[in-house]
Amino acid sequence: MPNPQRVTTVEPELPAGVRAILAHTGKPRSFLREESIRNVVRNGVSGYELGVNLTSYRALPLSCIEGLLLKVDGNEVDSTTVALTVNGYSHKLAELASLSHVWWFILEPATLFVPSQTPLATGSHQVDATLITVEPYVTAGRFSFYHPASRTLAVE
Amino acid sequence: MTAQKGLKLGVSLHSFTTEYITYKWSLEDMFQLVSVLGGGLEIVGPAHQRGYPYLTDEFERIFKSSVERWGLTPTSYGTYADPFMLKDRDLNEDELTEYMVPQLKSAATLGFSIARMQYFSYPVIERLLPWAEKLNVKMGYELHTPLTIESAKTQMLIEQIERIDSPYLGLIPDTGIFARSIPEFRLEATRQAGVSEELLAKAVELWNAKVEGEEALPELLRLGLRKQNIGNIEFIWGSFGHSDPELLKTILPRVIHMHGKFFSMKNGIEPDVRFEEVTKVLVESGYDGWMSSEFEGAGGQDTFELVRQQQAMIRGYSAKYAKQ
Repeated sequence: MPNPQRVTTVEPELPAGVRAILAHTGKPRSFLREESIRNVVRNGVSGYELGVNLTSYRALPLSCIEGLLLKVDGNEVDSTTVALTVNGYSHKLAELASLSHVWWFILEPATLFVPSQTPLATGSHQVDATLITVEPYVTAGRFSFYHPASRTLAVE
Repeated sequence: MTAQKGLKLGVSLHSFTTEYITYKWSLEDMFQLVSVLGGGLEIVGPAHQRGYPYLTDEFERIFKSSVERWGLTPTSYGTYADPFMLKDRDLNEDELTEYMVPQLKSAATLGFSIARMQYFSYPVIERLLPWAEKLNVKMGYELHTPLTIESAKTQMLIEQIERIDSPYLGLIPDTGIFARSIPEFRLEATRQAGVSEELLAKAVELWNAKVEGEEALPELLRLGLRKQNIGNIEFIWGSFGHSDPELLKTILPRVIHMHGKFFSMKNGIEPDVRFEEVTKVLVESGYDGWMSSEFEGAGGQDTFELVRQQQAMIRGYSAKYAKQ
């Protein structure tokens, strides 16, 4: 009977679980998420929704969201009409300043609702958006950081 | 598991920010990685704790089950003072206290024995002290550039610490204050932002000559630095400090934790931070505590491997200077 072959393996330097984690891949991240734009009607108001990310490395209270610059297909959107939905609750941008007890967690996707009489046409749209935030401990006082993002997004 | 004496190594999950926010590594993934990176776990409250500044039962379960599964030691919890979170004014002392107490409670319940404090907590630290004692969590001011050891702000913190003289109040030096040079990736980023070679060379010259940021910036503006590049220059003076590692000896009795800030690794060495001298002081002075690796360099790199290399470097220095 032939000797069973001895299997010699080099001791793996790292546990298999760790090696598996190291093989994970991520997705590039900016203020604008890659999901399609959705035409919706909210409480009787028609418009469209965009998926967005927080641009910091940590959670921020909504009072640290200073503003939004938004262009769709080159047309500027009046940001005072836009609502931000975080944790399932919607807030007009102007209301964010008073919401220092409401937190936007860093891994939590959010939604912008842009009211619009006419739905966005099916196909691709150029979206240029800048989130303006305060990192509430950087520099001696409130200082605005601009986080620009551009994407071509689909309406299905 | 009995904790060994001396310098112990761990990681701040801040090192893995890019991987975390791009959904490459989940919180649980990072906990597992820490198990092969020294085992000391440091988190950043608002980055990693869903529900921050309050602790939810759910997060407590997630955290504790990972700590148990991977045999980790929670070391230091990163609190934030966030004094500028309100639109119209800075937080007052009542509000600052109200914001900090749940963070100390979070730290304690999660099993951390140390809370990293921003120096903005200074005005309310005596109001927080009874909480720290009750919760058995030591508060440590982080000495992060521009808070070098010799800076006026640090001296103010040290005076307060000496006056209060409590085991629940100390210091957490960040090794970014012990820089010998400006990391290449930072110079490159400054170049990319549109700062001319000539101005960049002048900035390096001023930094090397240990000119303070408040003096260097006006000088560079006079020489033609554009307003939109002020932030790039402030970044340099806000990240890399000139403290001599020998000075670490003078504050060591008050040091309760270390941040092993590093920016890059080349051939097993951190070229811009004086790690050998820092480790020598810690080991020869009998420092008994943790150092959390904290990577803050260029993106797009194998961060896990960088932390491994940095810890191997520190272990090497540690062995070299250990008493025979």
